[in-house]
Amino acid sequence: MSVLVAENLQKTFRSRGKTVHAVAGVGLRLDSGEVLAFLGPNGAGKTTTIKMIAGLIRPDSGSVRLDGRDPHRDPWALRRLGAVLEGNRNVYWRLTPLENIEYFGVLRGLSAAAARRRGRELLERFDLSEKQNALTQQLSRGMQQKLAIAVSLVHEPVLLLLDEPTLGLDVEAAETVKQMVRELAAAGQAILLTTHQLDVAQQLSDRVAIIREGKIIAEDNTEALLARFSGEQYEIEVAAELDDERRNRLRQLGAEPLNGRIVYLGPPQNLWQVLEVLRPLPLVRVEKDRADLTEVFLKLVREEADA
Amino acid sequence: MLRLIAIEFKRGLLMLRRYPLEMLGQLVVITMIFYGLFLGARYIAGPAAQFGGRLDALVVGYVLWTLSLFAIGDLSWGLMEEARTGTLEQVFLSPFGPAQVYLARNLAGLLTTVVLNLGIMLLIMRLTGARLEFTWSALAPLAAVLLGAYGLGFILGALALLFKRIQSFLNLFQFVLMFLIMTPFEQSQGLLRNLGFLLPMTPGAGQLRDLLARGQAFDPQLFGLGLLNGLVYLALGLWIFGRAVGAAKQRGLLGGY
Repeated sequence: MSVLVAENLQKTFRSRGKTVHAVAGVGLRLDSGEVLAFLGPNGAGKTTTIKMIAGLIRPDSGSVRLDGRDPHRDPWALRRLGAVLEGNRNVYWRLTPLENIEYFGVLRGLSAAAARRRGRELLERFDLSEKQNALTQQLSRGMQQKLAIAVSLVHEPVLLLLDEPTLGLDVEAAETVKQMVRELAAAGQAILLTTHQLDVAQQLSDRVAIIREGKIIAEDNTEALLARFSGEQYEIEVAAELDDERRNRLRQLGAEPLNGRIVYLGPPQNLWQVLEVLRPLPLVRVEKDRADLTEVFLKLVREEADA
Repeated sequence: MLRLIAIEFKRGLLMLRRYPLEMLGQLVVITMIFYGLFLGARYIAGPAAQFGGRLDALVVGYVLWTLSLFAIGDLSWGLMEEARTGTLEQVFLSPFGPAQVYLARNLAGLLTTVVLNLGIMLLIMRLTGARLEFTWSALAPLAAVLLGAYGLGFILGALALLFKRIQSFLNLFQFVLMFLIMTPFEQSQGLLRNLGFLLPMTPGAGQLRDLLARGQAFDPQLFGLGLLNGLVYLALGLWIFGRAVGAAKQRGLLGGY
């Protein structure tokens, strides 16, 4: 069973006489161990959707099911969910990491003893044990973010919402958080990830959903989406000047020398003939063209805007 | 609910242990304000003036006023602060729901609030020479006043959720509260006396003055009315707060201050 099923979510806000259709028919599904990157430009409806899933914004219509339960009707459905929300501290700075975990554990329905026990486990797992008695405000930004994730996991939720988890972190801290996400997913945690850092989304996600103006404009397996937008061409780079004879033979095979690179557009099995022509020049790189998520994202969002 | 109260109590104590100067500062400032007023009144009345029972009643009223300020303000100031720092939504993610969490927080904060105000009362008594006759039966009307105070707290909390920045209103509300707590409705007659039973906290405040400052005996019937008043305002407060939570979720007002 999917741990998250959101169907046809709609939300309209009215402010100062203006009506904004923030979310117009969004549906998302997520299984255990799966990381879904939920992407979109600013104001596309990501945060509203996430908050509707978390029961913090009531949808005008549509439904949310967390492990089969509706958080808008049954508050205990929230026991299935953990969330780290963007732009928020998420934890109390005047408490220590262990106190924060214990406090929020009880708030999520655990006993204080169980929350403390789980807290020690999580701090150990996330390498925060040494800091368990330091005040949270004295921790580095990266440690605070790790703590926020640890707190969100105290009650062992089936679904974790991570809203911009690497925003504002230095390279090392961002890598640590990414590693945490990988490990959590490998351990069976379902994760709904929103981020503007598309390289992070590409590295971490199994699936991608792109939202624009309140509607999902693409949703697919990350690899499939990248393949769909990747070309068939190969690029070859050699560390030597090409003589005229080689240039002509390459052209006959359908390969075009361009600015120090050779672009080959023919059938993949003939690539070996191209390489034969280049022998024994020193090869620097042979690469199949592969779109990255940034290209895919921009292309899709622009296509929709032009449509 | 007991678990919630216990963990909120622990949280409150930890904060207090780490930042004891905040509480000490409040104690000194609140006491000094009353002492300043007292010195001013004595200057106007002349050196030979004796305030007697009126001073005692005033001390009861003032301490009750500051106690209610804490009881009422904790929730709304807390909500605004948590919305600013970004822990509000995490509290709202609790399956217990915000009303239960904040009610537990209020009850857990009771001990600190009472200890602080007891300190203020003792300091004022020492500085001004006021004499209050403590009786355990005073705890009953005090509880009635606190119930009403928490009710008002939830109503103001509802406003804080919906209108976000209500600091100016809260500052003005202190004076409304002063009127409610310090006006001796119990000594007036007719319509005004009856009105006193309907306003939040006033019957309990009146009974406390009777017990502590005027040395009167405990009147169970009066306490019954005070308790009913407190329960009605608490129920009203919780109901309004619940509606405000619903409206805030409908309008997407949680977080993002």
